[in-house]
Amino acid sequence: MLSSIPTTPKALENYRSLIGDDRIEEILSLAAPLKGARVLHVNATPFGGGVAEILNSLVPLMVNIGLEADWQVIRAGDDFFRVTKGMHNSLQGMLIDWTPQMWEVWLEYNRANGEMFDEEYDFVVIHDPQPAAMLSILTETNQCRPAGKWVWRCHIDLTDAQVQVWDMLRPYVSAYDGAIFTHRDYMKDDLRGPIPFIVPPSIDPLAAKNAEIPEDTIESILRHHEIDPQRPLIAQVSRFDPWKDPLGVIDVYRSLKRKMPDLQLVLVASMAYDDPEGWAWYERTVRRAGEDMDIKIRTNLNGVGNVEVNAFQRAAQVIIQKSVREGFGLTVTEGLWKGRPVVAGNVGGIPLQIVNGETGYLVNTVEECADRVLSLLGNPGLASNMGQAGHERVRDNFLITRNLRDYLHIFRILAGLEPAGEGRAVAKFAQIRN
Amino acid sequence: MYGTLAPTAKRVEDYVPLVGRDLIDGLKRLAKPFKGLRVLNLSVTAFGTGVAELLRSSVPLLSDLGLDCQWQVVHVDEESARVNKQMYRALAGGRADWDERMVRTWQHYTAMNADLLRDHFDVVVIHDLQPAALRTHIEKGRHQRSRWIMYSHIDLSSAQDDVWSLVRRHIQDYDALVFEDETFLGVGIEGVPVSIIPPAIDPSGPRNMPLSQNAIAGVLDQYGINRRRPLVAQVAPCSKDCDALGAIEAFRLAQEQVPSLQLVLMVTSLPEDPFELTYFETVAAEAARHSEDIHFLSNPGDVGNVEVNVVQRAAKVVMQRALRKGFGIWLSDALWKEKPVVAAPMGGIPKQVIHGKTGYLASTTEEFAGHIVNLMGNSETAQELGAAGHQHVTDNFIVCRYLRDYLHLLEGIA
Repeated sequence: MLSSIPTTPKALENYRSLIGDDRIEEILSLAAPLKGARVLHVNATPFGGGVAEILNSLVPLMVNIGLEADWQVIRAGDDFFRVTKGMHNSLQGMLIDWTPQMWEVWLEYNRANGEMFDEEYDFVVIHDPQPAAMLSILTETNQCRPAGKWVWRCHIDLTDAQVQVWDMLRPYVSAYDGAIFTHRDYMKDDLRGPIPFIVPPSIDPLAAKNAEIPEDTIESILRHHEIDPQRPLIAQVSRFDPWKDPLGVIDVYRSLKRKMPDLQLVLVASMAYDDPEGWAWYERTVRRAGEDMDIKIRTNLNGVGNVEVNAFQRAAQVIIQKSVREGFGLTVTEGLWKGRPVVAGNVGGIPLQIVNGETGYLVNTVEECADRVLSLLGNPGLASNMGQAGHERVRDNFLITRNLRDYLHIFRILAGLEPAGEGRAVAKFAQIRN
Repeated sequence: MYGTLAPTAKRVEDYVPLVGRDLIDGLKRLAKPFKGLRVLNLSVTAFGTGVAELLRSSVPLLSDLGLDCQWQVVHVDEESARVNKQMYRALAGGRADWDERMVRTWQHYTAMNADLLRDHFDVVVIHDLQPAALRTHIEKGRHQRSRWIMYSHIDLSSAQDDVWSLVRRHIQDYDALVFEDETFLGVGIEGVPVSIIPPAIDPSGPRNMPLSQNAIAGVLDQYGINRRRPLVAQVAPCSKDCDALGAIEAFRLAQEQVPSLQLVLMVTSLPEDPFELTYFETVAAEAARHSEDIHFLSNPGDVGNVEVNVVQRAAKVVMQRALRKGFGIWLSDALWKEKPVVAAPMGGIPKQVIHGKTGYLASTTEEFAGHIVNLMGNSETAQELGAAGHQHVTDNFIVCRYLRDYLHLLEGIA
């Protein structure tokens, strides 16, 4: 057996007040015939990263509604992770020089992990390409397909995948019973075999990052970080890199500052040692902020953890996400969930979340962004209405409970408990308007 | 070298209510001759470690006192980070495979960082030993007028010979060596003045700031911790060095006397190598076997400073089953919150936990369980110890005391 990752227990009941009785009952009734089903999630990293974050909530919720869900992580050396990092980048469109040796490393670790796979499950969900070869390898070594339904959960945007790499990977993922993508556009037309499903990302409203926090705690945190709770505050929560345009956000702030001298800006991020580009952009951002003490740059270097990020988002009157390129943009989701209007770049998954003029504004330039932020700061009624609409939109579409429900549908379809034509299955989960 | 970090500003005046006017005025007097002194604090880590916490609170306060104080972090890549980790492990008394190739990597990256160190500083304080050879590389050209201080934050007394003698060669020329405790010195240090400066906590930050009952309840509920059952907590890295399994054992024995007792194991740093990961998994499995009573908080998102604050405040007793590296300054965070601490007499613990006064020193499972049971049943004693612990930390382990020692150190070498 691979090693199981411990998670903190969670109760679906605790989400009732957030999502309402109907959605809770729907999940419970979908789950009823799956009671006792053995579910295994497999990924490559137990800590850090979006996938681990989702599994941390999803797995205990599955347990709570009666599934025997487990989360295990493959074991591998640094050479494997170097190779799969390259694989990941090339699937996202970067050009990487691929050598047969790299595939060998990938296959070798998949084989070694496959050997430790000695239990039976009803559903096995393999996340991302790292452990994707395990199914084919198990089938080959055991001379028969392992028990249960196998699902490949792809969290990557495959639109611009490097052909050479995708062509090598495709036979391995073609063997799966189902394949889940984040967005219809991220799918590959030439992937035949698995039933395709669309499951957008989600946030956990009860995680430290999103849960409600008392006003007095927010205020203490603000004061500690030298932010005046009495003065207007705008915020962007994002890695420092060119795609999130932190320098553009400072420019937006500067142009507003002339009209609103007491405006404050907080730029929030998490730094990692293995991300030299992030450090370089951190420095550029600090330099651009210069001597303006109303620009706060707050990261884990300042001791910022999830609760602090949560507090900054809640304290801001308007949240900015001035991305010029974006995946789904979960920080937008977090901002909307907190009832804040979000002004954000019209890219990636952001337009799925922001209905222009309804839950926030989609913008393309610094000037546009500044205009929209200013109008929201000057019109608290409008800001509050938009924030409310954003909160609703997230509740309907982007919470972990919806993610859970989608998994139940997928399991039921794969188990033959629910009908699914290929087209229908895709449509079923693509319920987002626009 | 990465560029200068931008820490959150702080003012020494804000600490007057915590430590008294005299100490603060004393700091201002001490700092006067150092107005504008360019001091670089250079560390290996920028977050998630005791050193980072210490620099986060002390650097802005030194700036507020008039020094031109900066904090930078050495630049690493994957390979040198691995070498640095092995070096740390070897110096802290764990065994590491150390070879010529690692020495070359270490030298190579030290030379590169030396090149990146362009500005002039009057004083350079190197935190932790991995960048020790910087001075050797820089001596060839620039920074000859700078004073160099090596501040080691680990216990070197059982360091691996080959690694330690390599590092020791490079610290011979420093102007001062600093250790956190007199028992932490490595063997064979000669000819360099040695100072002892224990670490300290920042009572004003999110890790120690007062929290409303409401805020505490919110976080406890989030993790399914029962607010009505008594709680004992170990807030520490989940490693063999801190003996999380031993903590569970002591808890289970104590629970025989106090059936409603709960344990929170809060993991403040995650496994970094396969060896640690295996231990981590063993602990996780053991905790899972008693999941009704043991809360194993191991998700990095769950253990920010605010969560540490909450768990220490919610606990009736804080324990530390073992400590094989370093000072364990996080116990002062618990003492500050007026919690009695039951801990092993290792590392810097005996300086913080005064047996029978601020808590209890214990070695065996039976001793740990006995003291925990005793404190659970005896709130008056718990309160007395807690109050004494708070006072002890106020007198000895607050960042202002650290600043005083730091300024005295500068006085000695300037």
